[in-house]
Amino acid sequence: MFDSWETMQSLAVLVPALPLLGAVLTAILGPRILKSRAHWPVVLGLTGSAVAALCLLIGVNRQAAQGAFADDPASSRLTLWEWASVDPAMPAPAALRQASGTMAEAAAQVPFHIDITLRIDPLTALMLAMVTLVSTLVAIYSIGYMHGERGYWRYFSYVGLFVFSMTMLVSVSNFLLLYVFWYQKPAAAAAGKKAFLVNRVGDFGFALGVFLIWTTYGTLNFHDTKLPDGQAIPGVLGQTRLASLAASGADQEHDPDHSAPHDAAHAPARKPPAESLYVGGGWFGIGTAICLLLLVGACGKSAQFPLHVWLPDAMEGPTPVSALIHAATMVTAGIYLVVRCTPLFFASPEAQLVVSVIGGVTALMAAIIAVTQTDLKRVLAYSTVSQLGYMFLGLGTCTLIGATSGIFHLMTHAFFKALLFLGAGSVMHSLGGVIDMRRFSGLRHKMPVTCWTFLIGCLALAGVLPFAGFWSKDMILAAVHERAHEGGSFTLAGQSIFHWLYWIGTGTALLTAFYTFRAFFLAFFGPERFPGELDHPPHESPPNMTLPLAILAAFAAGLGVVCEWTGWFDKLLLKTPSLAFAAFHETAEVGFHPHIAAISTVTVLIGIGLAAFFYLGERTQIDRIAAWVRPLYRASYGKLWFDEIYDALIVKPLWILARLAYVVDRYLIDGIVNTIGRLPVWTGALLRPFQNGQIQSYALAMILGALILLGTLALRP
Amino acid sequence: MNEVALLRSLLAIGAILFATGVIGLLTRRNLIVMFLSAELSLQGIAVSLVAWSRYHNNFGGQMLVIFIIAVAACEAAIALALFVKLFHDRGTLDVVAWQTLREENLPPHIDIEVPEPEAREEKWPELTPAGREPAPNLQQQRHRARV
Amino acid sequence: MSDMPITLEAWLTQNAPRVLSYPVATLLVGVGLWLVLPRGRRGGRAVGAVLLLVGLGMLAARLPMLGDWKYETVLWLLGGITVVSGIGTISMRSPVYCALWFALALLGTGALFMFVGAQFLGIATVVVYAGAIVVTFLFVLMLAQPEGQDFYDRLSWEPLLSALTGAVMILLLSLALESSLGGTAAAELAAKSPTPQALEKGILAPQHVASIGGVLFSKYLIAVQVAGVLLLVALVGASAIVVYQRNPAAGSADAGQGGRS
Repeated sequence: MFDSWETMQSLAVLVPALPLLGAVLTAILGPRILKSRAHWPVVLGLTGSAVAALCLLIGVNRQAAQGAFADDPASSRLTLWEWASVDPAMPAPAALRQASGTMAEAAAQVPFHIDITLRIDPLTALMLAMVTLVSTLVAIYSIGYMHGERGYWRYFSYVGLFVFSMTMLVSVSNFLLLYVFWYQKPAAAAAGKKAFLVNRVGDFGFALGVFLIWTTYGTLNFHDTKLPDGQAIPGVLGQTRLASLAASGADQEHDPDHSAPHDAAHAPARKPPAESLYVGGGWFGIGTAICLLLLVGACGKSAQFPLHVWLPDAMEGPTPVSALIHAATMVTAGIYLVVRCTPLFFASPEAQLVVSVIGGVTALMAAIIAVTQTDLKRVLAYSTVSQLGYMFLGLGTCTLIGATSGIFHLMTHAFFKALLFLGAGSVMHSLGGVIDMRRFSGLRHKMPVTCWTFLIGCLALAGVLPFAGFWSKDMILAAVHERAHEGGSFTLAGQSIFHWLYWIGTGTALLTAFYTFRAFFLAFFGPERFPGELDHPPHESPPNMTLPLAILAAFAAGLGVVCEWTGWFDKLLLKTPSLAFAAFHETAEVGFHPHIAAISTVTVLIGIGLAAFFYLGERTQIDRIAAWVRPLYRASYGKLWFDEIYDALIVKPLWILARLAYVVDRYLIDGIVNTIGRLPVWTGALLRPFQNGQIQSYALAMILGALILLGTLALRP
Repeated sequence: MNEVALLRSLLAIGAILFATGVIGLLTRRNLIVMFLSAELSLQGIAVSLVAWSRYHNNFGGQMLVIFIIAVAACEAAIALALFVKLFHDRGTLDVVAWQTLREENLPPHIDIEVPEPEAREEKWPELTPAGREPAPNLQQQRHRARV
Repeated sequence: MSDMPITLEAWLTQNAPRVLSYPVATLLVGVGLWLVLPRGRRGGRAVGAVLLLVGLGMLAARLPMLGDWKYETVLWLLGGITVVSGIGTISMRSPVYCALWFALALLGTGALFMFVGAQFLGIATVVVYAGAIVVTFLFVLMLAQPEGQDFYDRLSWEPLLSALTGAVMILLLSLALESSLGGTAAAELAAKSPTPQALEKGILAPQHVASIGGVLFSKYLIAVQVAGVLLLVALVGASAIVVYQRNPAAGSADAGQGGRS
């Protein structure tokens, strides 16, 4: 019943509008009138928004099943209002000029046209549903967590604004607006200096990417735009370009037989279609540059190497905020960007490689650091970074299974990471703010609900059958494996780079399981020990905190099974116009790969076993091992010294430069200015002795003047 | 008579008088003498004017000299009134006494050596004795200190 | 004033007297002036006087002759007296002596005026200037300096600088006179000079005072009136200054009684 376009358009407006309304109401009425009930507008708004998103999802599912998205219909977009339209701004950019036939002539002069358009397509609907659902549960949790805090209303107002910007971000159909909401989110969240600065670096890259898109493709819209005067501008991700990608994809050679062993040396090289309207260009081409710049933005937002340093330090805020930001929303913006721009990445295999490599490296590195951290929230933060690395790894393969796995992992990760964060928040709440695992243990009897939901989250994170994480992680590893065997021109020591990445992914899975269960055993098992300053023993959290935990646990447990057994997720996602082009569908198909699954399950069980061995019983062995690998331990504990390296490489030189600038400004420039200012003083000092108060001196001066005149007259030749 | 030569001679005399007056104005420290030197300058100008009057056969120069005399008289009156006032304030006619209108960090003009007046022998005139001589004192005349 | 290129040697030969005499004369005049000015206890005034005379004589030697030796003698005499009196005015160590020498200078200028034919002015100078103004000076001197002189009369302010200035001034004036009235210009000037007949009709007319009166009260009438007003203003001003000096608050009340003049 939700599948009429008008209904879906109304729902698409409601989803961002309700949280905004809630936030505004809370801001206005919160301080005075509502006080401790200030959460109601926001919670109600978020709930309504979640319901609307679910309805939208249902409607989209129906329409997609009927194939309505195949030609990117105009009714799947709702133009709210036209923001700017400037007449011919520049001559037709390169990509347009290369196109054949009528399009080049028609679009000889490209006007600058921005309108605020909301998209309705499967990717957007899925992201909206996930974001609003998790945000609602976090908001309900916050009622209990933030109870009695100062600034109660402000917190909820921010949450509402934050959700508004996130929903708008995934709904808009234009790169410029994407950038606006991308930037808006740090402003809404309580970001520290480091977070803000690192994000700025990412935003800078993103902005450059957007500029390049504008100069190359002539427009910033995703969709094809029709101007009132009849001009048609093909959008960056519009049907015109995607069709060209599809049409020329038939030229590509592809061996559909996966079972035959492939050798990297003999397999056909994977290259973008020759005559598509997307620009590639090799390592130094424009297309690669665009993709890499967008990647810089995504790395900044999603905390990938080398811009990951802000995420663990942003744990200072309240735990629900951490949950919201780091689990569900802010970090997923980068992933969303890369998935949305799949056609752009498809045209540039070099950029794909970079994405995957960065993802893999980040995943491994964050896992290494997480092994030795003692702060529970920090373990979860590094775990988030690591899982995001996984998602990038999957997306970088730029295959069907890769893209699907990335988004799927994003969704499952949102649920179980939010669950883990909220569980940690519950622990913190009952222990009076203590979260250092060295100071407490054995909480499972005092806080059973928290403990068992936390266990479910851990199992999902580690990727144990049948929890959600297993399905998604398995799909990612399968994607990488397929890509490794597909062949390509990127090899290292005889094997495709993706082959090495596959092993890195598997190793990271081991480490993930290890540190996750290390944290679980340390916190909830062992002798009962509580921090000294508590005046009463810890107790379970109130129902408005445990209920969201339970709901999230249910999702974490069941989502994977539901999606994979029915397969609706894959089918739905692949109807998204950006991912629907035929050439893409030629690449590896989605399916279940038993041998990959087996390898990953074994790895995970080894990891859990190691954790149990070291942390479940006595804890003496771990100290001996730690003594053997002292340097590794210290490297891991010190976060691989990234902060120190950045401090030395970037902060210190900048500080020195600033000092230098200060010295130059203070002494050189001020010196020059002061000297110029002193000139009248010196001139006065020179001339002052003439005023000595003696009349005859003045008379002498006058006479000398007269003499000079006289001399001039007398001695004229 | 060679009129041009007469002209030149008188002009030369006038010039020298003018220069002399200027030097006196610059050098002397007594207010009165400074003013006298200024008047001397003025006289030099008057001589020049009369010379030109003679050469041009015109009374214009002489007229101007008449007015110069009149103006010099007024000027002298005012100047002397002012000198009297200034003398009343400082008790001296030295122009160096009035040097306060100067920059703060400049030193005042101070006389290093103050020359003493030349010692003149005061020779008072002697009057011849007049009138009758007093009566002789017989007692004094007959007194013998020693016999 | 010649614009033909001329060799240095020829120019020197042509202008040697002028070129040589001026620097020497100026030097003599300068040194003489310096020596003659009152400089405390130091002497050398007689030498200075001699040097001055020599220098000025050198300058005067450049002047052309009048034509008639009688007139020439009288002119040199009168001019000499005037100049010497002028030097005397500025170099005496007692201000009373300065005033007296000044009176003599005035007599000299008066005589010069009469020599040139401006008898009225000659008499006027002697009567008004020497008779009234100098006497007023002496009055004030007697009031202010009963001893007749003070230490500051024996000192000069920067005698060297002043002597130099004076010498340079004399030099420049002489050069100016020479360049504009001597040499090639002399012939033109001589052509324009008045003849004795014209002079008889002009400023040497027999009714001298009547002529002066006629011009004064016809052509310069307004100037006469203005001069009269000026004299009145000066009178009032001088009185006001003196009265205020004695009693600043009661200046208007004391207007009748007034102060010493």
